[in-house]
Amino acid sequence: MEIPYEVTARRDTGLYNAKIGIWLFLASEVMLFGGLFSAYVFLRVGVIDGVDTPWPLGLDVHKQFVWIGFVNTIVLIASSVFVVFAWVSLKERNYQRFQIWMVAVVLCAAAFMVNKFIEYKNKLTEHHGIKLVDNSVMEGKIVHDTEKIKFAADSLNVPLQGGLPAFLGDFEGDFPAFKAVYVGKEEEGKEPVKIEKSGSSAGDFADWFYEARRQVAEDLAEERKKLRDAKKEGKTYQMKPVPTKGTVTPAAGEGGESEPFVLRPDNRKMVNYSRSEDGPDKLNYIDAVTVDGKVLADKIEYELHEINLQQVPITKQDSAKLWEIFESQGHGYVKDEFMEHQAERIQELRTKFKDKPIPAKVMQSAFVNLIEAHLHEPKTGEKKGGGDVHGEKAKVNPAADDGHDKKDDHGDGHHGHYTVLIDRGDVKFFGNHGPRYGNYYAIYFTMTALHGLHVVGGALVLAYFLIFGKKLYLKNPEHLANRVEVGGLFWHFVDLVWIFLFPIMYLL
Amino acid sequence: MADSLSPEELAKHKKSYTAVGIALLVFTCITLALGIWPPLDLGVPGATWEDVVIGLTVAGVKASLVALIFMHLNHEKSLIYKFLLFTFFFFLGLMFLTLFALWDPIREAIDSYYTRG
Amino acid sequence: MSADAHDDHDHHDPPFWRKYIFSTDHKVIGLQYGFMALAFLAFGFFLMMVMRWSIAFPDRPVPMLADLPWFQAWLDDEGKVTGELYNMFGAMHGTIMVFLGVVPLAFGAFGNYVTPLQIGAPDMAFPRLNMASFWSFFIGGVLMFVSFFLPSGAAKVGWTNYSPLATTTDLHFGDLFWTGQTQWLVGMVFLITSSLLGAVNFITTIINLRCRGMTWMRMPFFVWAMLVTGFLLLLAFPPLEVAAIMQLMDRLVGTSFFVPTGLNVNGTPFIAAGGGSPLLYQHLFWFLGHPEVYVLILPAIAIVAEIIPCNTRKPLWGYRTMVYAVMVLGFLSFIVWAHHMYMTGMGPAVSTFFQTTTVLISVPSVILITSLLISMWGGSIRFNVPMLFATAFIPMFGFGGLTGLPLAFNLPDLHLHDTYYVIGHFHYVVAPGTIFGLFAGIYHWFPKHTGRMMSSKLGHWHFWPSLLFMNGIFLPMFFQGMAGFHRRAFDGGKAYEQIASQIFMEDGVFARAFQSLVGRTDEVLIAMGRVTAEGAADHAIYLIDLNIVTSFSAWALAIFQAPFIINLFWSAYFGKKVKDDNPWDATTMEWATPTPPPHGNFTEEPVAYRDPYEYSVPDADEDFTPQFEPDPSEEAAPASPEPVESEIDSESTT
Repeated sequence: MEIPYEVTARRDTGLYNAKIGIWLFLASEVMLFGGLFSAYVFLRVGVIDGVDTPWPLGLDVHKQFVWIGFVNTIVLIASSVFVVFAWVSLKERNYQRFQIWMVAVVLCAAAFMVNKFIEYKNKLTEHHGIKLVDNSVMEGKIVHDTEKIKFAADSLNVPLQGGLPAFLGDFEGDFPAFKAVYVGKEEEGKEPVKIEKSGSSAGDFADWFYEARRQVAEDLAEERKKLRDAKKEGKTYQMKPVPTKGTVTPAAGEGGESEPFVLRPDNRKMVNYSRSEDGPDKLNYIDAVTVDGKVLADKIEYELHEINLQQVPITKQDSAKLWEIFESQGHGYVKDEFMEHQAERIQELRTKFKDKPIPAKVMQSAFVNLIEAHLHEPKTGEKKGGGDVHGEKAKVNPAADDGHDKKDDHGDGHHGHYTVLIDRGDVKFFGNHGPRYGNYYAIYFTMTALHGLHVVGGALVLAYFLIFGKKLYLKNPEHLANRVEVGGLFWHFVDLVWIFLFPIMYLL
Repeated sequence: MADSLSPEELAKHKKSYTAVGIALLVFTCITLALGIWPPLDLGVPGATWEDVVIGLTVAGVKASLVALIFMHLNHEKSLIYKFLLFTFFFFLGLMFLTLFALWDPIREAIDSYYTRG
Repeated sequence: MSADAHDDHDHHDPPFWRKYIFSTDHKVIGLQYGFMALAFLAFGFFLMMVMRWSIAFPDRPVPMLADLPWFQAWLDDEGKVTGELYNMFGAMHGTIMVFLGVVPLAFGAFGNYVTPLQIGAPDMAFPRLNMASFWSFFIGGVLMFVSFFLPSGAAKVGWTNYSPLATTTDLHFGDLFWTGQTQWLVGMVFLITSSLLGAVNFITTIINLRCRGMTWMRMPFFVWAMLVTGFLLLLAFPPLEVAAIMQLMDRLVGTSFFVPTGLNVNGTPFIAAGGGSPLLYQHLFWFLGHPEVYVLILPAIAIVAEIIPCNTRKPLWGYRTMVYAVMVLGFLSFIVWAHHMYMTGMGPAVSTFFQTTTVLISVPSVILITSLLISMWGGSIRFNVPMLFATAFIPMFGFGGLTGLPLAFNLPDLHLHDTYYVIGHFHYVVAPGTIFGLFAGIYHWFPKHTGRMMSSKLGHWHFWPSLLFMNGIFLPMFFQGMAGFHRRAFDGGKAYEQIASQIFMEDGVFARAFQSLVGRTDEVLIAMGRVTAEGAADHAIYLIDLNIVTSFSAWALAIFQAPFIINLFWSAYFGKKVKDDNPWDATTMEWATPTPPPHGNFTEEPVAYRDPYEYSVPDADEDFTPQFEPDPSEEAAPASPEPVESEIDSESTT
């Protein structure tokens, strides 16, 4: 059976099947990316000043990626040109040249993805923001791994309902040796069921967990049945409590001594932790696992790059939380710099408007909210050390003329050596510049990742034509040309989406 | 066959592809300049309406070049135009009717009436 | 030697798994869709029956199920349905019925099986894509089904999965990916992919694979409906895919697309960046959601439009009008979505726009139904089983449509939103509406595939009780809904009893009407201790007893599906054999194929000589003149019906 119009065009429509198919598919793709663009606009326009996270964030954090975006745009445009040339070569029945152009396309796709990878990696590992409880924001970098607390666990109380507990992925190092115990319900004249297991792998733990969970479920069902039966007969029955939790403790490893587990809980999986004077510290997981032990470390070590007070009301900027933190660790000069610039800006306005009152809107936009700031050696015994500070420490944006100073700052590399310690109690929210950090990053990652998937998909299809096209070419070159045309249409569409992504993600 | 092209036509095609490729590069540079060259800065601090209009217009021109020349939409069959017309219409609906919910003249009027007292 | 030659021409019998499992034949794929959809319809029905128990008898343990050990875990200590289970079953009932039941049966099964036959095509334009589409659907369905047995249970925040509730539910599970809520989204992405591939395939097939002479205006109405449905799926599903992806990001990665700033969950601040918009989710969801309603109903209307002319022995009345109406309907269905969102506070201007378009869309719907009704005028009607279902479809759909009008306006909607009135309204459209249409289709095309007729006696045993109990289920819902019964009350309003809405009962007219309807007077109610003497006359309490009517009707409906199931399997092997390839004396192309149609469908090149519904043509020998029957005037030169070919060119791309 042959499907008609696979290669040749139908007379009345003038189209072959695949071409209709791809255009329909592209129409649905338009709606797919259209939905995302619409979400972008909706979320961005809907931002409430001073309440929601502003779009986009920060100063050079944002700008340093423009070049990557630019290069990627060039790469995609070039590949688009190569695809049409590949198609023309096939129309000219020149298979060799088709291969050359196609290789160029696939290389471009690879270059695009490598570039993308560099950008993602940079955003995810080099940049972190911390929002304090009063909405003042610091941009910079969290020193490796201090974003997670360190907790020495002596015993864990694990509920035996639902799925495997979340803490299994949080051990520092290898899966430790453990001992798990579940003691079943008490009944007269019977030993309670006891399910015990020692082991040193996640698999061992899962064995114990599932067995104990089954026991719990059976006991519960039994009690329920008794209750229902009693009800049927018109009697009352007091259900016996069924313990639903098991205990996990560290076991003696090969060394002989048992040591507490060291947990590095993921922030999203942890509800809270508390220290206590008399007795063990507690850690509560989101899946109701409770841990007794000791908090080993919980301060965030932070390397500051920028200060962002966009979400702090102007009148409260003077008493923002972050100044306290800097002050207490000998970095009081940061605030002085900030205030100095604030005063300068107001002075500028005053001279500009002379005696007239300054319009509220102008006033508002003139305030400094973003400032680039670097920490340096704490000057002990010097409370307000503005005088001794080098002039380049803080800069105000917008300030177009000192772009080169910034480079110097990076160049002499003294940032990164000095850090502040931040108490978790002061933090409202923190994260790397990944999708969690704000809706700009969320939509940036979603859209570019989806676009990236399209690039990979398109490149795979084109590579398939390149590698396996010969057979089809020999059989019917027009068929291969059609396929390349269709694949090319998809590729151009991917390019077209990027043309819009570049300005809205990197420039606006 | 309807789609077979003569060598002359192909040569013409090639020329236009090269021209469009160069035009796209130029436009990309313009976009970049708008973004990072201070006199034309589109970027920080925040986008103004002019930034958005200029930026999206340039992107729109680039996109239509790709669509018209590379994707052959300058001489496509009417059926395809019909698909795209519908798609474009619904895309506009999705884009602007949702935004409509954020900007409501009637509610604004009511609010301002009450806030005036 | 000859075997080799056969191999070359691909005429050999493919192995079993290739022929029946990973098949590329549109008919096998259609059947695969059909059986899977029927299974899911049964499953969705089961979920609903459990819910109905909880609504009717919230204080009694569920019969039978309470003793099943695996089911017990979901019930409370005494074996009663918990609120959580009700929510879970409610959410999945909706999801399964819409995305895994009706759409696959209507679009996947009937569309796949019938469309290529009716346009005279050998198969779909992209057979392998068709297979991919089915298996994508299969994976999505399996994921949805499996999610019931995850520790978290299946999704439980309503079939609409509104954020931020959907984002924050079940977040306390260690493995977020394997929670019902997440699996709903993943399953949805697969189902959407399946629909998109299917839509591309359908539209391409209809545009490019019509046989010789099958001009646009010679296509049966069913094909037109499939074309429009295809476009609805193609363009409306991607925004839902966007919503699903974004919600997936919210759940798994921790973004805040739909999480507003300052969200509190159970009294504690939700840790997220904030700045998202729950309204955005609803926009994206309902951008699909409303066209989806037409995806549900159009195939059913189209099936009925095939059956009515065939059994009235008259052409379809207003064929062209119907075609244009269905196109307008498809177009308008994209710009009415926010009438589902009047309660979101999006503002009067938007509401005004959307209620205008919503009222507009009733015009083409009414044109379709009226045309079907008029088609029966003066016909000599054969009331066989498919025709019974088709005839019942019209008033049932009319009920659903007309009760939708109050919901189209935002003011009455404030009162009716989320009550049983809404449930009654859309179930009238999809249950006795669409599902009757689909049953009609099954009875109608069954002989084409099996070569045997379905039993008429069992068909009657299926139809009449179904009609009765469908109304028994959904009619009371309107009254309850107007009295303010809320759809999410898992105890059917027992807890709400004492404060039930009084608005509806105030003038006493309706109150008396219902008293006589339910057969209870105030005295009885007072004697039962249900109301006090003062409150009796103006209280809506006794409408709660309609819960029992509804629930018993639902269970009875389930029982009377048995004749259908028996009929389906029994008749396939023991039914009466068909007289020839065209047992209903129908006119459309699918009856020109052998029974059952082989791979490649037609034994000789199909040609459409005339319009699709040429019944009772004056001066014709018989009361039907099939599309595929050569014109007597051309009998002289049967080999090449050229005039028809030239007509294709003149029509070109309409």
